[in-house]
Amino acid sequence: MADAAALLPNAPKTIVCDGNEAAAWGVVLSRPDVVAVYPITPQSSLVEYVSQFIADGTLDAELLNLEGEHSVLSALQGAALAGARTYTATCGPGLAFMFEPYVRTPGLRLPMVASLVTRDMLTPQCVWGGQQDAMTVRDCGWIHMYCETVQEVLDTTIMAYRIAEHRDVMLPVNVNHDGNYLSYGVARAEMPAQAAVDGFLGVKDVNWHAALDPLRPMAIDPLTGGAGGPGPSMFVRYRKGLCNGMRNALRVIEETHAEWGRLTGRHHAPLIEEYRLDDAEVALVTIGSMTGAAKDAVDALRSGGKRVGLIKVKTMRPFPVEAMARALSKVNAVAVVDRAVSYGWNAGPVYQETLGALYRARHMIPAVSVIGGLAGADITDGHFARCIGMAFAAAASGQAPDGPVWLNEND
Amino acid sequence: MPSYETIAFRAQDCDGCMKCVTACAQAKSGADDPAQSRIQILGAAGKWELALCRQCGDPKCVSNCPSAALAKDAETGVVAWDADRCVDCLLCTVGCAYAGITRDARVGHVSKCDLCDGDPACVKACDRGALTLNTAARIHRRAAEREDLFAPGLAACQGCNSELLIRHTLRHVGPNTVVATPPGCIPGMGTVGYNGRTGTKVPVFHPLLTNTASMLTGIKRYYKRVGRDDVQVLALAGDGGTSDAGFQSLSGAAERDEPMLYICVDNEGYMNTGMQASSATTYGSWTSTTPVGERLQGKSTEAKNLPVVMMTHNCSYVATAATAFLEDFYEKLDKAIEVSKTGMAYLHVFAPCPTGWRFGSDRTTDVCRLAVETNFFALWDYTPDAGLTFTRPTGRPRPVREYLAGIGKYRHLSEGQVAHIQATVERKIAHLRRFERTGA
Repeated sequence: MADAAALLPNAPKTIVCDGNEAAAWGVVLSRPDVVAVYPITPQSSLVEYVSQFIADGTLDAELLNLEGEHSVLSALQGAALAGARTYTATCGPGLAFMFEPYVRTPGLRLPMVASLVTRDMLTPQCVWGGQQDAMTVRDCGWIHMYCETVQEVLDTTIMAYRIAEHRDVMLPVNVNHDGNYLSYGVARAEMPAQAAVDGFLGVKDVNWHAALDPLRPMAIDPLTGGAGGPGPSMFVRYRKGLCNGMRNALRVIEETHAEWGRLTGRHHAPLIEEYRLDDAEVALVTIGSMTGAAKDAVDALRSGGKRVGLIKVKTMRPFPVEAMARALSKVNAVAVVDRAVSYGWNAGPVYQETLGALYRARHMIPAVSVIGGLAGADITDGHFARCIGMAFAAAASGQAPDGPVWLNEND
Repeated sequence: MPSYETIAFRAQDCDGCMKCVTACAQAKSGADDPAQSRIQILGAAGKWELALCRQCGDPKCVSNCPSAALAKDAETGVVAWDADRCVDCLLCTVGCAYAGITRDARVGHVSKCDLCDGDPACVKACDRGALTLNTAARIHRRAAEREDLFAPGLAACQGCNSELLIRHTLRHVGPNTVVATPPGCIPGMGTVGYNGRTGTKVPVFHPLLTNTASMLTGIKRYYKRVGRDDVQVLALAGDGGTSDAGFQSLSGAAERDEPMLYICVDNEGYMNTGMQASSATTYGSWTSTTPVGERLQGKSTEAKNLPVVMMTHNCSYVATAATAFLEDFYEKLDKAIEVSKTGMAYLHVFAPCPTGWRFGSDRTTDVCRLAVETNFFALWDYTPDAGLTFTRPTGRPRPVREYLAGIGKYRHLSEGQVAHIQATVERKIAHLRRFERTGA
């Protein structure tokens, strides 16, 4: 790696790497000022790559080796308030430990980017992939985008900075990729030229709104709220501002993906992807890397004449309810496959969102909740064929099973 | 009232050697004749008393003088005597309650201490530390020349020394500073402000209770990266945010010797939220979560000795301070600010809480002083090179019961508990002495 700086692409180039390395290259190209790291499976190789890139001079950034995820995000909050573009990555128990500063980041309107290399949550003790970690924090005010491929990890990491730092958004972004399947899955990826990324991201200005800078003295986060005085209305104004940022993000995410497509020729679906949906009777709803096998299953059944399509959720927060409602309106039944559960709903989180979108569409069709791929389990095209079968059965009967179908229960 | 410097006397450290008297006589007359001395030590062994001018702020000798022979210097605070104007009426001696201005027939006129131009011979001659020159006035004058960066009228409890500490500290570190103050009394009094208003004229923020040192790490590292290494980062944190929930981030920053000035304002518990116990709460203390009843008699375990814990991390500088000894605090603050440009400086400041500890709000400084003079809270500083140095004498402490007696949170203590605390104080001092570097 002696000549590592030479690796920085002056022109687009092709690399072969896993999702963790792809994320690291996305970070390099985005030129953060401060990176804070703490290792955790299956994120570790990602922060190792970034650390090595900094050691080699490939990335010119301040590297903070801190004593835990709580401090990682805290130090980055400080750095961002001082004016830094920042990066970190975590998952699972690390995310849980980070939770206290995590919930605070959106309220401070800090445009950070952090990868979640998703992992199932304890307990049972487990180091394998699953989306329970990211899904558990879906309502904290961070933008959540889930990637399907290694290429999408690289591209979305870069796009995330532009989305986060957009003045109409100013919210932190989690770029999520599935532990094991994307973290270690190796594929070809196209890397854009540094100059193209520089132009795409523009001039960094992350603390124009809230700064800890003696040249612009201000108090950050004075106490607000309470029952009297200006407190309640001020608190509501902050909360509404955050909600407006989320709403604006839907538009900005679409614009950013369109611009990225023009720049690189790679057009990723920004909010949801409709796959072979136009004449479909039923659809799968998927999220993350499972989508590849699901598309294979759809293709196979299409070859047999079955009218089935797929809706992939890329942006989970803000939830693209209008786009989802439009897509769902095209079919008569869905099977929603979650890699996480929503305790108390006895269903998956994406399933709940789907029900909400169906109500928005005034389209009362049967919806099957499927939970699979927990703790690193594989969801195969065979599993998806079974899910499609359940969707067709639901369409025919007008009824969905009571309670979720646990895909890997008998594997 | 004009400020002044004065010579302070600790009777318990005086052995009646009279070296001070001889030194003064030498300095003022060139002879050893005690009659020529302007300081006198009177009484007998065990109860020595001082007869010396206090350079009063409102000197009665001056107001009694009919001929304007006595005047208080507005700059130095010294009450000066002018022989040319003196009419020898002795009214000044009647006005003085301290026998600070007297007439001796062998001298032929009244005489009094003139502080030897700020470097008194008597203090230098006292090798037991019974006489010290209190130069707090210099500190106040120096502080007054700098901008007060803390808003006026912030609502700390009556008698709280945190406001004093903050105003002095901020004046001293200056405007190129970012202040972090985690939840506790300090933001509670309005430091970060309420509903969009700020209490501080420099950038200030609430970290979480848990992440003060980490947030400051990120701020400082970024400024260093962009060539603004002169931005000072400062924590003003309570003992809970330092010793309990905030300890992991503090420990990490100390291990990395992050450049910052971290001041722990230790009031021995969660005084802001209703006086609950923290790990800094001392043995025997009543708090609302270590109450006193038939079965429990206050906190049953010792306080975490955080300054010592920090000393054994990788900090560049660690010191304890108490606001009864402002000169000592200032010396340490100066060192800490210098050190914090390149490494971590940790100051642990004793902050007796009239509200939570239950003593009169006029007694805060007395409680501070007694804590130090009983060795309950020893004053020292430490660098890895110099080791530990006590900055106030610890050799002849008062009994700790004198400190405990006036404080409500210790009101219930049994004789056994007091004896336990006395033994703990002695053990802690002995432990600290092991960190002193002896020899060259």
